[in-house]
Amino acid sequence: MRTAYWVMLGVGSLVIIALLAGLLAAVGRFRSSGPGDEPRRLTAGRGVIAKIAGGLSVLVAIVFIFGVIVSDGVKQATAEEGTEEIDVKAIGQQWLWRFEYPAQAGGSFSEGIATIFSYSELVVPVDTKVNLSIDSTDVIHSWFVPALGPQVWAVPGEITETSFIADEEGLYHGRSTVFSGSAYPVMRASVKVVSADEYEDYITGLNAALQEGQAAVQGTDTTESAEEEE
Amino acid sequence: MAPPTIAERRPEVVTRHLAAGREGWLTSATSADHKEVAKLFIGTSLTFLAVAVLAFVLTRVHLIVPGSTIFRPDIFSQISTASMTSITVLFAVPFVLGVLGYIVPLQIGARGVALPRLNQLAYWLYAAGTLTFFVSFLYLVPETGLFPLPPLSDDVYSPQHGVDAWIGGVGLATLGFVCWAINMVATLKNMRAPGMAWRRAPVLAWAARVISYIVLVAGPAMIAGLVMLAIDRNFAGVFFDAGEGGEPLLFAHLAWIYFTAIHTIMVVFALAVISEIVPTFSRKPLFSHSAVTTSIVAVGVLGTLAWMQNLYASPVADGFAYFAMLMALALLVPIGLIYVIWTLTMWEGAISTRAPLVLAIASAIALAFGLGGQWVTSVVGAGLLLENTVAAQQDTILTIVGFVLAGFAALHYWMPKLTGRVVADGPAKAAAGLILVSAAIYGFAMFFAGLAGQPVDVYRYFSDDGVSTLNLIATIASVFLMLGVFLELVNLVRGYGAGRPAGHDPWRGSTLEWFALSPPPPHNFDAVPDVRSPEPLRDIREAIRLREETFVPPEPLPASAPAEVGVPDPGDDAGMSDEAAAVDAPTADPDDIVSGEAADDSDSDTESADEVEPADEPQPEEGRGAADEPHEGEELDTDEGSDESGDGSPVS
Repeated sequence: MRTAYWVMLGVGSLVIIALLAGLLAAVGRFRSSGPGDEPRRLTAGRGVIAKIAGGLSVLVAIVFIFGVIVSDGVKQATAEEGTEEIDVKAIGQQWLWRFEYPAQAGGSFSEGIATIFSYSELVVPVDTKVNLSIDSTDVIHSWFVPALGPQVWAVPGEITETSFIADEEGLYHGRSTVFSGSAYPVMRASVKVVSADEYEDYITGLNAALQEGQAAVQGTDTTESAEEEE
Repeated sequence: MAPPTIAERRPEVVTRHLAAGREGWLTSATSADHKEVAKLFIGTSLTFLAVAVLAFVLTRVHLIVPGSTIFRPDIFSQISTASMTSITVLFAVPFVLGVLGYIVPLQIGARGVALPRLNQLAYWLYAAGTLTFFVSFLYLVPETGLFPLPPLSDDVYSPQHGVDAWIGGVGLATLGFVCWAINMVATLKNMRAPGMAWRRAPVLAWAARVISYIVLVAGPAMIAGLVMLAIDRNFAGVFFDAGEGGEPLLFAHLAWIYFTAIHTIMVVFALAVISEIVPTFSRKPLFSHSAVTTSIVAVGVLGTLAWMQNLYASPVADGFAYFAMLMALALLVPIGLIYVIWTLTMWEGAISTRAPLVLAIASAIALAFGLGGQWVTSVVGAGLLLENTVAAQQDTILTIVGFVLAGFAALHYWMPKLTGRVVADGPAKAAAGLILVSAAIYGFAMFFAGLAGQPVDVYRYFSDDGVSTLNLIATIASVFLMLGVFLELVNLVRGYGAGRPAGHDPWRGSTLEWFALSPPPPHNFDAVPDVRSPEPLRDIREAIRLREETFVPPEPLPASAPAEVGVPDPGDDAGMSDEAAAVDAPTADPDDIVSGEAADDSDSDTESADEVEPADEPQPEEGRGAADEPHEGEELDTDEGSDESGDGSPVS
């Protein structure tokens, strides 16, 4: 995706430089020599214009085909054979993200079991395809972690999907990019990429915390204070 | 108020003894004359340019350091909303409508507009809109940004009345734009000068036509969206309520159609203005009139259809995204073609670097970078990376800067027509340089900040984002940008009131607005010449020159010797214009306004003749007389190749 951008930036820069160089060269070279100066009245025949427009059209056609190729399925990561997959729900709300995981590491939501959740920080295993289902409970937000893939809007009443594969362990930061009210700038999303073992531990920990919380009170919010960082 | 006119002796044209004694402001406020209405549009919109730039710099000053606490978050959002709404709805569109509304009827040789009262209503609706929006500062300001996207802007998440004021203000102004567009379409259809087929209509008239249709498409879309939002907020509507089966994204699309249309209007206007200025200041015809006008139509259509290039991240089907991408990419063809035509128009020309041309070139540079950046991010893959970041925003801001520079160029170019005075060159050139350089620095800084992921509309960023230095640079640049804009605004205001006298045709223009007096009388023209080419005024000039060159004194007696008596008869037309030039030249022409570049008599005598001489014969007659013979054949068989044949014909 970055590659597509840099290629486009190169092509665009060349076009801009070419157009402006001609313009500025003309301004620089052909100054009026005085009041009586009457230049030749040169105008185009049809052929010249058709050639210029044709050339530009060919460029546009090439760029369009290139654009379709590089943009095809860009919202979804392409996984190699045998890559593990996990499903995570990301739910935007003013002004943080809630992430819901299947109760068992590597499980999916279809099994109808209880989900466990975290706020603000998504923890995923490395080299695993993460399928995100994005939703919003209030206003429109945007899921955007620049290092991990493109922006996807979270629209209330509509589930949008994206996926990514993190190659390296680490902490990745992102921001919502759709204005969502007064605390919008602090609506940051963090993705912590860990090894598969750490991920297992994390899910186990969440499960334990959840059961502990459920045992203590009939609420589910006790994990929140532990998980929240902002 | 009534300027001198050459029509004194004609009973049907009365410019003296109009209702005198009314105060100036009362005349302006009540007159349905398109020129008075247009001046109101221009003046009001420039006020909001100042407001918008000031608000923009305030937001930038707030962002000078990470974690700044200069403004409270809600105050910051309010200032930012005011800035963005002002620059687009309250400045850009009405400014375009003002300049077009003044100049285009003159350019097409109309003596007025088709629906003057509707035109007047347009201004007052717009004025009511500005008032509605800014009065909300007295109770509760909208803080939902340029796009009050529904779940955020509905009565649950924005219960305060600021959003209602925003809806009312933008809605009223947009309704005004639509009224203006109806009038402009009717005027352009019905009131063109005899012989002015569309292929001969000036570029700016084409732009007016395109812009009118864009407004007629996008304006009602926005009004519909606003009405639905108002119903949702105040009358328990569910148009955008997903929980009740509504669709929040509908408003996003309607609003983007509108704001993309505004963006397109800016671009079309800027391209048209530069295309008017470049030929005049290179003393050459536009390299291809037909290609430029066709391209302007194409820019209008493609630009408006590309609205979804801003919505790649929203759930739109791939097919729509690729359609928008194709439209946005295809814009390169007409816009690139226009740039090439400007270059070829100036090539081997006699360029005089007066303020209008300097501003126009500065505008072309800013537009190239702004539109180029948008072209790059219109590829879906790149757009998803940069959409809604400051990197994409700076493309838009550079385009707006280009538009503002083109607007300044237009004012410098046509101010002599508005007031009979010319605006000073020096401050304008300085301002052009200042604006261009500071906008470029701002653009580069924000480009890198956007690549680092800084989103738009944030009142805070963090020191670990790695964008602190870039924001500092951008803030400093934006202050200089503001200084440039204000310098030029002051210059324009001074030039409006106290510029140096310009005469009627200081630039030696070739379109019909320069045929009118400066400032034009309420009826614009005493006589409307026939049009035989895209450069009617040049044809008239050529015809007069030809008459003088081939002048043979009348021979009352066929027997006397014809050769020696080559002195023009003082009573003759040509002789009269020469005298007029002699009278007029020292006062108006030599160094005052044209600084020795357009000061030759071949043009100034045709224009100044009607200023000084009460005799009304010379011009209309030249125009019509010269039009007679070559007219018939040429009008039918050549269209745009007729640039050559069109100007050749009066000579041959």
